[in-house]
Formats: sequence, C-alpha cells, structure tokens
Amino acid sequence: MDTSQLLKGVLDLAVLAVLRKDDGYGYDVLRRLRQGGLDGVGDASVYGTLRRLYNAGLLTSYVVPSEEGPHRKYYSLNEPGRERLVESGKTWKSFAQALDDLLGEGA
Amino acid sequence: MNTQTNTEVQHYLDAMREALSDLPAAEVAEIVDDAGAHVVEVAEEMGDEFTLAALTDRLGTPRAYADELRAAAGYPTPSAPASGRSSLVARFTLWSLVAGVVMAFGFAVSRGEVEELTLLVGLCATVAAVLVFRQKGLLAEVAALPETIAITDALARVQPPDVQKALATLRIFQPVWWIARALLIGAGGLVLMYRLPPVVLLAIALALLSLPAGVKAKTDRRWLWVSLPATAFALGMLLFIFGTLATRFDHYPVSSTAVSTYNGPPASDNIYVFDKDGKPLTDVYLYDEDGRPLDSSWYGCTGRDRDDNRYPRPRVVHDEQGCHEEGGVPFTVVMPTVPTTTAPSGTSPSGTSTAVPTTTAPPATPSSVVPSAPTVVTTTG
Repeated sequence: MDTSQLLKGVLDLAVLAVLRKDDGYGYDVLRRLRQGGLDGVGDASVYGTLRRLYNAGLLTSYVVPSEEGPHRKYYSLNEPGRERLVESGKTWKSFAQALDDLLGEGA
Repeated sequence: MNTQTNTEVQHYLDAMREALSDLPAAEVAEIVDDAGAHVVEVAEEMGDEFTLAALTDRLGTPRAYADELRAAAGYPTPSAPASGRSSLVARFTLWSLVAGVVMAFGFAVSRGEVEELTLLVGLCATVAAVLVFRQKGLLAEVAALPETIAITDALARVQPPDVQKALATLRIFQPVWWIARALLIGAGGLVLMYRLPPVVLLAIALALLSLPAGVKAKTDRRWLWVSLPATAFALGMLLFIFGTLATRFDHYPVSSTAVSTYNGPPASDNIYVFDKDGKPLTDVYLYDEDGRPLDSSWYGCTGRDRDDNRYPRPRVVHDEQGCHEEGGVPFTVVMPTVPTTTAPSGTSPSGTSTAVPTTTAPPATPSSVVPSAPTVVTTTG
C-alpha cells in the first residue's frame, strides 16, 4: 500500500505531534518525522504543512539567527495547536482502532 | 559553500519562486525564506558531492518541490486563477510571442514585406514582453495554459535525446552566437530601414536586449520573450544573406544575367506601349527572349500586390478622396517618322514622366525593336 497517500491525511497530526515537546525549524521537523518512522514524508510536504498550520493559527513562529548557514524559522505549538492535537489524536485513535477491528486477525 | 554551489542553489530557489509567483508576494517570501533555508542546508550537507542534478535528485525539480509544497499548504493550484481576464492576458502574452517569432523570421527572410502586419505584431510582442516582465505571476499563468503545455510537449517530442545531446555539445559556442545574433539583428535593422523606419529602433532595442537575454533566459524564462524573437530574426537574416549569396553565385557566370536578375521593370515603374501610329496599347503581356514572363510587383490601393507581366499597370493616385487606381495612359506620343529626329511631344500630368521616346531607336543598333516593327516601349518613373 502506498504510504504517501496515507500520510497526506495524517501529516498535520504528525507535525503537531513532533512539535508537542520541542519547538523546531522545518528541517528539524522533517528529521523527527523520519526518525519516528515516517520515511516516505516529502521535504516540500512538511514545509507546506507547516505553512498551512501556521496560517490556520495553530503554530507560532520565531526566527533564530544561525552562525553558519541561513537563519532558521522555528515553529512552536500554541494553545489552539495543542487543542487541535488532542482532538485529532482522539479521532486518529478511534479510526485506527476501527480499522484494526476490521482487519481482525487477518492481517 | 562555494560560489558555484551558491549560484546553482540560487537558480533552484529562483525557479521555485517563479513556480509560486501567482501567490501573494508576502507568502512567497515566507515560503522561500523557510524552504530556501532547507534547500541551502541540504546543499551544504552534500558538501563536495553537490551538483544541481544531485540536489534535484534529492528534492525534485524546483517546480515539483513547489507543487508538493503548494498541495500540502493548501494553496490554490496555479491553473485555478488563470481564468477570465487573466487567462486572456496570458493567452495574449503567449500568442504574441509565437506571432512575434514567426513574424521576426518572416520579416527578415522576405526583406520586410507585409509592413502593417509586421508593425502590429511587433507592437503586440513588445507589449507582451513588457507585460511578462511587469506582471507578477503572469509567467506562471502562461505556463499553465493548455496550449503552452501542448507546445512544450510537442517540442519535447520532436527533439529526440541524441538531438538534445548534439545541442548540448554546441553549448560552448553559445556566447559567440549571442554576439553574432546581436550583430545580425543590428545589421538587419539597417538593411530593412528603407522599408519600415520604425524597424530600426525595434531592431536596435532587440539587439541590445538579446545580449543579456542569452544568459538570463536559461534561468528566468521571462527572457524568452526577448531571446526567441531575436533568434528568429537573426536566423531569418542569416537565411536571407545565404539566399542572396546563392542567387549571386548562381547567376553570375550566366551571360544572360540581365534577364535573370532583372526580372522585369523595378516595382515602382510602369511600362507604356504604343503601336506605330502612336496608339496606346493596353493589356499587353511582356516576355523575354526565353519566353519567360517579365513579371514585376505592383501594389494597388487594397494593399495587395499583383505579380504578373501585364502592362501598363493602373496608376495608384492618392488625393482628397483617398486612394484610387486609374487605368489608361497619362500621356500621348507622336511617333517619329524618321527614327533619328525624334519628336517628343508627350505631356505628363504627374510631371515625373519625362521619358518619352527620345533615344529609343538609335540607328546604330539595328537589333533594337523599333526599326523592324515601330512599337515604342517607354518606361516612366
């Protein structure tokens, strides 16, 4: 099964999840997602998702200058973001549970 | 990061910015700031291994990157805003370029025929070039037009990989060609000046702009609006020059050059024919000694020209009532009874045709047409 299709639906949730504990800039978020096992996630998709979540008011951002390389824009969860994370997390869990039940011992 | 890497990354980011150029400027700036830092970081990680190909391999083409980001961010697709007025502008921009390219080539090859159309197309192409440089996002709209996609697809199909490879090896000569192109355009402008004076200005502007266009068009496709017509015009000039040389070499050794190159009276001239009694002959068809028609071009009031060998042509007269064509013969001649004492008594209302039969038949040349059959051929103009 093509995981990229699955990812599309849950990337928001995944990005919110990796930002729950620590703020992170784009590449940071990307690394955390990949380390967490989501290898198929595209670079541009992560940046696009960050932009969308930010535009939706679920993230705040701040710029940190860097000595080597370009300055970095860090994203952090704000209150609406945390609420969304809890809410979407619940939806996901019930969804995953439902699918598990459907699959039963077959899978 | 070395400068080479820097420019390549910059090109990548420029292309990305272009692909997103239909979005609000502030948003594009944020994205390029953010994702651009990422591209730079990826490039740095590659270190010495860095090539544009490797970067593209890792991140996809700038357009693919932009499209993926666009989809994830939930921005409208670039083709969506291209509707109504804006798609009309995009269409105008695209088709003006196409027409401009065709016209630039045709104008050079034909040595400046069809002047009004050339001016119109030249104007449209200039406006299109200005538009594409001034209006943000117009290029993205043009690129999203179905006909643009069809044209680029067709071009990609007619260029098999080995042709592309051959073109790639020619790339080192590009700077030479860019300079030659500018010179050809400048020369073409001067040559064609007599035909259409505004062309000189257009040609000089095009020649100057074509110099940076060669370099810039690689990364900034807006410059195609300069470089493509420039190339078409220069190639047309080149073809015209070769054509002229070929004609000259073709005909020079032949003894009957007079007939071959001089294919009839000059376009602005006319021929009036009289019989031995001085009666004007109309609708006369002229041929040379090989039986070839002595065709010449003639422009009537409608602007359409006629290429045939029927003389005399109607005269085109411009006055208060506008343009009209007058048939008939504007003067009379008295036929000389003795060829040596010619008695010109022609009158010419236009004042230009003083060339009544003065020395049409010197007796020293018995092969001349007049003594054997006293039909006098005079040319006016």
